[in-house]
Amino acid sequence: MEQLLELHLPNILGAEKEAIKKAVIIAEKLGFARDRIEDLKTALAEACINAIEHGNKFDQNKKVRVTLAANNKSLEVIVHDEGEGIDPKKIPTKRVRDDGFPCRRGYGVFLMSNLMNEFYFEKNPGKGNNVKMLMHLNG
Amino acid sequence: MSKDIKVSTSHKGDIAVISIQGDVTAVTGEVIGNAYGSNDILNSPKILLQFDKDCYINSGGLASLIDIASEGRKKQQKIHAYGLSDHFQKIFHMVGLTRCIPIFTSEEAAMKDF
Repeated sequence: MEQLLELHLPNILGAEKEAIKKAVIIAEKLGFARDRIEDLKTALAEACINAIEHGNKFDQNKKVRVTLAANNKSLEVIVHDEGEGIDPKKIPTKRVRDDGFPCRRGYGVFLMSNLMNEFYFEKNPGKGNNVKMLMHLNG
Repeated sequence: MSKDIKVSTSHKGDIAVISIQGDVTAVTGEVIGNAYGSNDILNSPKILLQFDKDCYINSGGLASLIDIASEGRKKQQKIHAYGLSDHFQKIFHMVGLTRCIPIFTSEEAAMKDF
């Protein structure tokens, strides 16, 4: 993988838009289709929002690091926070209430894992956490 | 009003219209919630959410829309939406929001189906 971008975002909601802008430029250069770029934008936004909110817990002394790398098969996105991390098993997976109505929250991981081809958590105690996602060029 | 969103309300016959431009997020969702909560909208049995095609919606914004749908259901309101980009139409389907806010391809279709 060749690293194409490293960004250090302030830990403020809305900062993810800077990463999205730059990721779109890279994805366009790599030849991703428009609909896949839209998927990437949403997945990257959700990863950054989770890092700001759940990873760094809105601590403005912390940063979110976004790195993009690619080879001829895939684009790799890593979103790193400086927090303690959360147990992936504790992430809510229920998205529909008993009455059939959609649940209010818990869509970030659902969207990332469904819009990207691969999705992983990497928890590094004392060193923060990574969300790693891959989008394949061939779909 | 938040600088990232522009929300306006109007009426077309007995249908209350909430027009949304910009970012629909946890932060700006309050602006839409306030528009929905105004007396003339809250008491309307039919509500049309008119999205600009360039709207950006994240999971916090989806939560705000689910709040409106939930409140609308309690009040037996019908809520329709149109104007979303293909991507966010897909997202609405993925999260199940279309079960409570059906989406339409045009204003005419959305209004006709009430």
